[in-house]
Amino acid sequence: MGTTFLPVASIVTGVGGRDGWMSVLPGFAVGIPYCLMILSLSEQYPRKNLLQISAAVFGKWIGNFIGLIYILIVAYLGGLLLGQVGDIYQASIMPLTPLWVFFLGGIFLVLFLIKSGIEVFARFSEVVFPLIVFALLLNVGLSIPRIEQGELLPILSEGFKPLFLGAIKVIPFVMTYMLFLAGVIAFLPTGKQELSQLKKGVWRIIFLVGILDALVVLIQLLVFGPAETIRLVYGLLVLGKLVEVSRTVAGVESLFLGVWLSAAIIKIGSLFFSVIWGLESVFGLKGVKWRHAIAVVFLGISFRFIRGPALITEIGLVDEYLTMPFVALWIPILWGVSRWKRGAGN
Amino acid sequence: MGSWMKMIKELTIRPKGKRQIRKSPAYSFDEDLKKPLSGQTVKEILSKSSDVVFREFFLQGKDRIPCMLVAVDGLVDKNLLDEFILKPLMVDFAGHPELAQMTLSNVIDKTMESLLPGIEIKKISKMGDAIDTILSGDSVIFFGNLTEAIVIGARGWAHRGVAEPITESIVKGPREGFSETLRINTSLLRRKIKHPSLRIISLKLGDMTNTDLVVTYIEKIASPDIVSEVFKRLSKIKMDAMLGNGYIEEMIEDNPYSPFPQISFTERPDVLAGKLLEGKVGIIVDGTPIVLVVPAILTQFLNVNEDYYQRAMVAILSRFVRYVGAFVAIVAPSVYIAVTTFHQEIIPTDLFMSISAGRQGVPFPALLEAFTMTVVLEILQEAGLRLPKPIGQTIGIVGALIIGDAAVTAGLVSPLMVIIIGLTAVASYAIPTFDLSLAVRLIRFPLMILAGVLGFFGVTVGLYVILIHLLGLRSFGVPYTSPIAPLRIRALLQDTFVRAPWWALKRRPQLMDVEDPRPNGKG
Repeated sequence: MGTTFLPVASIVTGVGGRDGWMSVLPGFAVGIPYCLMILSLSEQYPRKNLLQISAAVFGKWIGNFIGLIYILIVAYLGGLLLGQVGDIYQASIMPLTPLWVFFLGGIFLVLFLIKSGIEVFARFSEVVFPLIVFALLLNVGLSIPRIEQGELLPILSEGFKPLFLGAIKVIPFVMTYMLFLAGVIAFLPTGKQELSQLKKGVWRIIFLVGILDALVVLIQLLVFGPAETIRLVYGLLVLGKLVEVSRTVAGVESLFLGVWLSAAIIKIGSLFFSVIWGLESVFGLKGVKWRHAIAVVFLGISFRFIRGPALITEIGLVDEYLTMPFVALWIPILWGVSRWKRGAGN
Repeated sequence: MGSWMKMIKELTIRPKGKRQIRKSPAYSFDEDLKKPLSGQTVKEILSKSSDVVFREFFLQGKDRIPCMLVAVDGLVDKNLLDEFILKPLMVDFAGHPELAQMTLSNVIDKTMESLLPGIEIKKISKMGDAIDTILSGDSVIFFGNLTEAIVIGARGWAHRGVAEPITESIVKGPREGFSETLRINTSLLRRKIKHPSLRIISLKLGDMTNTDLVVTYIEKIASPDIVSEVFKRLSKIKMDAMLGNGYIEEMIEDNPYSPFPQISFTERPDVLAGKLLEGKVGIIVDGTPIVLVVPAILTQFLNVNEDYYQRAMVAILSRFVRYVGAFVAIVAPSVYIAVTTFHQEIIPTDLFMSISAGRQGVPFPALLEAFTMTVVLEILQEAGLRLPKPIGQTIGIVGALIIGDAAVTAGLVSPLMVIIIGLTAVASYAIPTFDLSLAVRLIRFPLMILAGVLGFFGVTVGLYVILIHLLGLRSFGVPYTSPIAPLRIRALLQDTFVRAPWWALKRRPQLMDVEDPRPNGKG
């Protein structure tokens, strides 16, 4: 779920209007067949990532070409998301602190996490995920007194078209997760029982994240109305600012940002890992110095886009025009060709 | 100049991949130990020590056999030696048919079979064994020029009795604690676990000190991997002196650079028994009442044995208080600094005005104010810790009341700062384990600096660095943050943040792989 929950409300409401919240779950559900395809490939090629599988299925040259595109996309997206860390912190709670402080803080955490290994990365996600869910529910729950029910009505006044448009905007988020899954499958267990557990886990997590994100959109819609929800890119933080508990704690956005930072670190870390695996698979480059080189690239990209709207637009463009088409084509074709080859082999 | 440089290099550069142990100049009895066992050689080696006693006598058998009993004064039970060893041999059995048959060639076997009534009697034939046993408190009888001797277990020395441990006092539960004598400690443990699968394996460490220690575990429960890892790590220790458990702790823990304790300790037999029943391994060192227990996980440092003697609901409340206390002890000063320096928006206006009024006239920034007060707190804690109890209390009163009040009156610190530091101190006392409390004290300082420089962003980065560090720690192969990550829901719900009622604890906590997961062999 990474960093999705901050901009999702603005994005889906922008195309789906007041019915946009209903498109979140179907949009996320698109990820399920992709996950199942990746797990099926993992079953067929145990201990290999999708880049290695691509090289095995399509041949070395096509495999390397796919790997190169993969590396470029994940590195660029990772750098942009690192930039978003600075952007959000500076825009919301620390306007006087220079951006590079947040970039360096973020990349330091990512590097430390990467150095600790994939196992620690998984455990970090395991610990942080309940915190994110709790923070989201707290933020949503504390905003309930500000709800105006009329903002939601009329439901489906423009038919199902807004739902379709909204779902199209959510799909790129899911496709970003597929990029990470494409690399991490080499580390996943390949036993029948474990694979069946993983498949169950995919269903559960996609529905959980989909429902939570839908809830986040819904609450913003109910509090701000469609027009304000579209205008506020980080509406959830504004919600946090409005919160007041018994005249003791007023704005929880700074605390909420602390939790969001962990989600951002997980997402940037996952893209960092993807770059590492990509470089290893395609060019055979590995070692600490290459990690540092990737960190420098991430920092360079994050320094390039320093302004909020430009950054958000760029992330949206990468998601829609690079990540989504790449993953949407790559995985089904790879899965189909591998099955066809297996069938022909039999 | 060159030789100086060489010497400095030798002293400072640590060879890669090796744990360097600086040893004292070699002094060994290697040459003597190679000699065949004889009473005369033993006398030559030990006669320069005034506490070693050599009692020479004769056994009047078929031959007149010269004998010598060697023991260390103060380490043996003299009454036992007089009454049950020397008196029977020299007086009671005079004229005994067995004694009449005795010659130098059969004296050892005949004596062991028929004359000596003790339980701990054995034959030895090596010089090293003889020296070790004598210096450990056993007595050895040499016969003429024979290269074998008899060891008699008659240890007895002044020792502290079984008393209530100071560091683990409880309201409801057993009062007995370990003492400095190894055998008393093993007996206390054996009284708790009367099962043949309780293993007590003896070792010796320290080239000069020859310190006795035992590794204890329950064979059917403890993971063989963990047990063998313990022996492996212990066998790698090469030191001259082993004067306490702290020496071992640093030599066998997984990450010596971490501030967090990776080996737990206890002074209570009931706690050790409980840990062994969970599948852990205990290391008892002679000369210290503190027993090391491995592997250790983070959450167990916040749980105390009283949790198991109180009713479940009370235990849950106590644990909740301790967890909250630990969190407050870590973050309270840094949150105060971040809020007053960067994030005033988090506080409602009325409260902010009140805080602001309190800080009026304070000449220092919040970071310096909090840092100074925390350092003062550390000094007070350190000063009070090792002073005699009544003086220690006085230091606390002087520090907390007089200095704190004077600092506020003088306008050096704000009243709220005193409250925050007081709260931090009280919260850190809620952490039941001293080692973890020290770690919390240590990590508080960098968090405060991060808060002063980067506000909540800094605090968050600091906390995540600590979290990532904790997630990467292992204790003897067991993840330190288990059962939170990797998540083991049953362990989490049974005996981590909460303590389920005894009737609901159907299986062992499964914090690690145990051989038999059922507590009573049924489940």
